Amino acid sequence: MQDKAQFSYHRYVDPKGGTVDRRIFSDPDIYQRELEHIFARSWNFMCHESQIPEAGDYFTNYIGDEPVICVRDRDGSIHVMLNSCPHRGNTVCRAESGKARGFLCSYHGWAFGLDGSLKVVPGRKDLYNGEIDREKWGLLRAPHVATYSGFVFACMDEDAPPLEEFLGEVGKLSLNLIAARGDMVCIDGVQKNVLDCNWKLAVENLLDWYHADITHHSATMAGFIGKPPSHNWHRTMLGEYGHALSGPRMTEETWAAAERGETSKEVRFPEAWRNEERAREMLGPIGRDVKGHPNVFPNVWITASGRQICLRLPKGPEKTELWWFTFVDRGATPEYRAQVASHGTHSFGPAGLLEQDDGDNWIQGTKRTRGVLARKLPFNYQMNLGHGQPHAIDGRSVYIDDHTNEHAHLWLYRSWADWMDAESWADLKANATPVPTEAV
Amino acid sequence: MSDTMQAPASEIEAMLLQHRVEQFLYREAALLDARQFGDWLKLFTQDVSYWMPIRRIKTVEDLDQQFTAKSDIALFDDDHSILKKRVDKMTSGFNWSEEPPSRTRYLITNVRVVAQQGGTLEVHSNFHLHRSRQEDDEDNFIGHREDLLRPDGDSFMIAQRHIFLEQTVIQAANMGILF
Repeated sequence: MQDKAQFSYHRYVDPKGGTVDRRIFSDPDIYQRELEHIFARSWNFMCHESQIPEAGDYFTNYIGDEPVICVRDRDGSIHVMLNSCPHRGNTVCRAESGKARGFLCSYHGWAFGLDGSLKVVPGRKDLYNGEIDREKWGLLRAPHVATYSGFVFACMDEDAPPLEEFLGEVGKLSLNLIAARGDMVCIDGVQKNVLDCNWKLAVENLLDWYHADITHHSATMAGFIGKPPSHNWHRTMLGEYGHALSGPRMTEETWAAAERGETSKEVRFPEAWRNEERAREMLGPIGRDVKGHPNVFPNVWITASGRQICLRLPKGPEKTELWWFTFVDRGATPEYRAQVASHGTHSFGPAGLLEQDDGDNWIQGTKRTRGVLARKLPFNYQMNLGHGQPHAIDGRSVYIDDHTNEHAHLWLYRSWADWMDAESWADLKANATPVPTEAV
Repeated sequence: MSDTMQAPASEIEAMLLQHRVEQFLYREAALLDARQFGDWLKLFTQDVSYWMPIRRIKTVEDLDQQFTAKSDIALFDDDHSILKKRVDKMTSGFNWSEEPPSRTRYLITNVRVVAQQGGTLEVHSNFHLHRSRQEDDEDNFIGHREDLLRPDGDSFMIAQRHIFLEQTVIQAANMGILF
């Protein structure tokens, strides 16, 4: 704690003044610390259970910027292992998904089981004199793998709390905004592209409902989306460990439309599911009205349509990959499934009529965080600053109903500083900024 | 469509057809380079299928699954109305991903008429789309296309454009352009 007294990452985030230092969006040392203090410590989204239904099915993903294999074992359990041979580092799984009986290193032939254990070392008897400890030299395994509502997460830190505790009310609500719609499965095909921007600028954008009017104006003009939703019916939720959601909420008008089975302009799908028993139970009265965008800290975006997840994967201080997963009810009619797939294909991803216009804003913004002149000016997060009044239900589910605001953005960065300061999970739990109960 | 090319009446006839097809594809590419998107769209039939699946890194054994299926998620999966929205977006004056516009150059090559049926031609071609953006951004999209060309007077209409890229993770900030 000695270091912390001298230096805190909170110096970069001013919640009272509503500013964030530009340095955090391109400094290589800060990025490296993020990998260690955030990604190597937090729970990370891997895939949906439906993507690896059978024994041997695997899907490769990343924890921070390091490749991992997420695989279903023969007993149905799921393992996540670093995709790197302990011998000389080579990747042991080079396809992005498929079915395997185990993983074979192409360099010297070390072979690993579905649980990452080292099964075969060529020359074990003759060359290693039978002395190599196979118990010790398996693939590096995530000590924690767990699923919530079908979403698979992995955590590389032994001391992390269980997934549900990490998610808290806001994180669970976020995932349930997809899961509450039915028995969901991931449609085949993950759209991936790379942007020359810092991952946090991509994350904060999902909480941002200020930009749609201008950034996505061409999509409105072309008739792809309706006018962006009113700024007056906004709900922001702030959760432990940096989880947050932000965006429009159901109104009397949209509830009436939902009851008539009408399609809402923003999401193009009937909202009637919100009235089902399942949704009422899984989301609760506050969550049921949420139509905005949640972020499960650090980098999992659940879309407002509730049918997609986008990962913002860090690939360097100024490089981020976006990965889009699209979900549909298992029993959907072919017509409905086609509609969902079409919505996924046409809205987001690099060719998406909405997403095309986002990336350059973050890329140019990231570039302008390097300069000695640019760094004199912090970024401004003052929208509705000091006016956001948190409410709570049962002392949890903190929410702010107001017009469009930047409370969730600032919460993201305050929590980010908590993670960056903390030296361990125990430290983070003890010292993280409490979810605000006073005006923010 | 049969796999084999119907034997042309004569080699000269095949050469003329090849010439007409190539000239059509070059003219079409020139329209995109010249940003004449409205005229470009007129070359597509109302029932067009404009599709670019996602490519995945797969083992040799699973190579048949490297592209997503038609019913699954894609990068482009447009009917005429979506294609028109893309063009309307590009000419809206607020199309930030292409404002200022990138400089594109479409190189079309390896053009082959692989099948003919009832006047419709199945034409495969390779392409290299070079895109220069802002001061120092460069995107390279390389792949092949499987088109269906329907005769239209002395020219053609495109009834299908299926585009297969080599990239799995798209190495570009966006694909706010046409292929």
